Amino acid sequence: MKRPLVRPSTLAFAGVLALLLALFAWVVMRSGPLARVPVTTTIVGSVAVAPALYGIGIVESRYTYRIGPTQAGRLGSVLVDVGDTVRAGQLLGEMDPVDLDQRVDANRSALERARAGVTSAQAQEADMSARRQYAETQARRYEQLLQARAISAEATEARRHEQRLAEAGLLAARANLDGARREVERARADLDGALRQRANMRLVAPVDGLVAARSADPGTSLVAGQWVLEVIDPASLWINARFDQLRTGGLRGGLPARVTLRSRGDQALAARVVRVEPKADAITEELLARVVLDHVPQPLPSIGELAEVSVELPPLDPRPTVPNASVHRNDGALGVWVVEAGSIKFTPVRVGAADLDGRTQILDGLEGGESVVVYSHTMLNTRTRITVVDRVPGVSP
Amino acid sequence: MADSHSPGIRIEALSKRYGKGDTAVDALRHVDMQVAPGEVVGLIGPSGSGKSTLLKCLGAVIEPSAGRMTLGDRVVYDDGWKIRDLRALRRDNIGFVFQAPYLISFLDATDNVALLPMLAGCPNAESRRRAREMLRALDVDHRAGAMPAQLSGGEQQRIAIARALVNRPPVILADEPTAPLDSERALAVIRILHEMAHQYQTAVIVVTHDEKIIPTFRRIYQIRDGNAHEQVGEGRPFR
Amino acid sequence: MISLAGRDILQAWGKFVFTGVGLGLLIGATLTMAGVYRGMVDDARVLLGSSGTDLWVVQRDTLGPYAEASSVYDDTWRAIASIAGVARAANVTYQTMQVRRGERDVRSMVVGVAPGGPGEPGQPGHLVAGRHLTRNHYEAVADVATGFRPGDRIRIRRNDHIVVGLTRRMVSSSGDPMIFVALKDAQQAQFLKDNDAIVRQRRRTAANPAFDLPGAPGVLDAVIASQSVNPYVNAVLVQLAPGYAAEDVAEPIRRWKRLQVYTRAQMEDILIGKLIATSARQIGLFLVILAIVSAAIVAFIIYTLTMAKIREIAVLKLIGTKNSTISWMILQQALGLGVIGIIVGKLAATLWAPVFPRNVLLETGDAGRALGAVLVICVLASIVAIRAALKVDPAEAVGG
Repeated sequence: MKRPLVRPSTLAFAGVLALLLALFAWVVMRSGPLARVPVTTTIVGSVAVAPALYGIGIVESRYTYRIGPTQAGRLGSVLVDVGDTVRAGQLLGEMDPVDLDQRVDANRSALERARAGVTSAQAQEADMSARRQYAETQARRYEQLLQARAISAEATEARRHEQRLAEAGLLAARANLDGARREVERARADLDGALRQRANMRLVAPVDGLVAARSADPGTSLVAGQWVLEVIDPASLWINARFDQLRTGGLRGGLPARVTLRSRGDQALAARVVRVEPKADAITEELLARVVLDHVPQPLPSIGELAEVSVELPPLDPRPTVPNASVHRNDGALGVWVVEAGSIKFTPVRVGAADLDGRTQILDGLEGGESVVVYSHTMLNTRTRITVVDRVPGVSP
Repeated sequence: MADSHSPGIRIEALSKRYGKGDTAVDALRHVDMQVAPGEVVGLIGPSGSGKSTLLKCLGAVIEPSAGRMTLGDRVVYDDGWKIRDLRALRRDNIGFVFQAPYLISFLDATDNVALLPMLAGCPNAESRRRAREMLRALDVDHRAGAMPAQLSGGEQQRIAIARALVNRPPVILADEPTAPLDSERALAVIRILHEMAHQYQTAVIVVTHDEKIIPTFRRIYQIRDGNAHEQVGEGRPFR
Repeated sequence: MISLAGRDILQAWGKFVFTGVGLGLLIGATLTMAGVYRGMVDDARVLLGSSGTDLWVVQRDTLGPYAEASSVYDDTWRAIASIAGVARAANVTYQTMQVRRGERDVRSMVVGVAPGGPGEPGQPGHLVAGRHLTRNHYEAVADVATGFRPGDRIRIRRNDHIVVGLTRRMVSSSGDPMIFVALKDAQQAQFLKDNDAIVRQRRRTAANPAFDLPGAPGVLDAVIASQSVNPYVNAVLVQLAPGYAAEDVAEPIRRWKRLQVYTRAQMEDILIGKLIATSARQIGLFLVILAIVSAAIVAFIIYTLTMAKIREIAVLKLIGTKNSTISWMILQQALGLGVIGIIVGKLAATLWAPVFPRNVLLETGDAGRALGAVLVICVLASIVAIRAALKVDPAEAVGG
């Protein structure tokens, strides 16, 4: 039998070795420093970026009325509780009046007495007025008689004297009457004062609204300045929002916004920026702004609830735009990796505004139409060789 | 009787002593022997008689203690090796045939035989050509590509003989070549040895105690207790 | 001359290759172990390099912020930004914590970065999906090792964040993947306790009579508010302006601001020298053991292979084969085994390295060194077999 040129087992062995070497070479090419890094790219387009500002806020009431006594005392009664709706002028509670009621009664009695004094003075004046009338008539009669030389001058003088006395008396009586009237006024003023003090013990709602908090129960001793009830106007809820100072150029009153309340994470409510506070927060480096919802949702959001606020600024002019994942810092300069003829080149750029989805304006450095790297499997440097893929390996769709 | 001056192999007063002093053992005592080219002699004796020792000395595998050994026309031993490279001596001048074929299991038949010329420096193609020629001479060239495991005992033995002969050594030492074989095969092997010896003018020494083949030798050396003496053999021809 | 080693292998190549594969798996394990160490060092380097930071400003006398806890006030960055040579300075916080998504908890390092966009110190260097943070609250960029995807809602302490971007190879020095969030969220997560603790603390404060003055009702609220403020960060990261040397800028900060400043080289020293040092020694010891085991196995295999053909070796010697030829045959087999082992080992390590939870970095240099070591080991291991082969007396081929 002729010996075969190459034995089958030799062939098999050679085959296995060749396979091993091929695998080995494949491994070296794929995973060593010679390997190409997979990247994804995108074409730089010209897009009008609509930057938006994002801040976190707290739901607050525009006006909060804290109702309490103006002087120390004991809380007598509280008629409403948290969550009750109240009307302007409604009695919400009362401090313990102590002796005020008695003082009012006393003043009332004093007023009655003053009134009685007026009546008495009036009677006295009428009396004096009658007397003066008589004395005047007498004096005139005696004057006539004196002219007729029927009586003595002395008698006439007496009558004239009586007339003068009667007039003086009348004046005195009138003055007395004035005094009595003034007394009435004083008594009335005293009564008014006592009544006002009494009214001060009543805690009254200043506006229509909702009782938000209640801090004391009847019987508690309070000092002036402590509040018993907090009333808010539910229609005046707004959001006290804080925006990072870094990228909030353009925040001003009147801009439309969208608010997401923490408790209702799925709904985005329409709102409007009312004003930007003139004083920012230097410690937290934030601007403060007030944002009002266009329609207050029912049920009301709780005071103090967190809300996320996005303010949309008007879109800027179209400019070359890249995703913010494309922006890298290399050797101290900010730029993008431009793909040219299968290799990458670092192009420094100047970035402008960005929107909340990461689209970043390029002010300088790109014309538009270039292909830039978006995602890469590893960090890139000038020596990296790339291969463009649809999706970076290891990331599931 | 062979001509004492013709090439072949000749030993004179060869002795081998193992050990020293009181425990010394004389395995060979002043052995004389010579074999002419083309001659096939038998070397017989009981076990322990020294025949293996003699074979090992003849094969330049162990060093004798005293005496003289001439291979062809070269004195290889005269109370000391006269040749520096014994390995080359063996490779070029002595062919070994053993009880078992002792083929290299990972070489095929051709390469087993070709190995010897290759070791002598012969290029591979030429070595293989000579190997195939030898295989043909021994009638086993139809198995030239087979591995030893695929060969029958007789085929293996023939290839072993081919290996021993391929370098045309002047001497072939065969150690019990027919021990495991039946009489028909044994006679076949001895017949081949006789034919090859005649064809290539090789001196062949066969150590054996196989009764089947002893009658075929014309000359026989008998060893006992280290002493050897020549005998005339039967010289029975092959049928 | 034919190749005796080659012929011997060819005759039973399956066994030989199989043995080589077994040795290769052992070598692969060794390479992987070295890769684990390299991965740890690489993690540390990536941690330091990816944020583009040149200087780390931390609390005085600490090794922070990675090796030790460090706290600086969060307005320190302003003073640092005004120093000559500082191009950009930004606050950063680090905290390792459990982050939950649905039912799953992932142990990660939450990094609080100052808003300012890509390229600022502390921001992730590159993304593999999504975008960088744009809002200053409740967004997160996570490493892919967390298993999160863009759009996932994750819970960090008290707040839910939406994953808006993914990055890769951003891990802490202990291998936890990083999640980047806005600085204020991270400050709150780090310093503000959970709700129950806050309520208890409020009660305790309110029970203190010093804060409950009837004539000053706002004092209690003010005190409670001040307790919820968290004005600390872990470090300020600084990027240098071109042309300034790191030490030149670091020295004034150290002296005048009484802070500790580390350059990149010093941080590497700290991370690799202190944090990883013990692990490195562990791994080094293991590598030594593996090397010894490999050597022993190769020696054993070669010895066995040689002993299996000791009779043939005796015959070869008898028929005139040189000792050097026989030694070379054995050596060739040992080297062949080693080469197969290295190839299989490198292949196996490359194939199973990504399965490891932590980064395993297989350097080509390591494979080269391993090749050299394996060849040396094979040579040394074959010495035993060669000695045995050479000792064989060709006379044994000739029967007794």
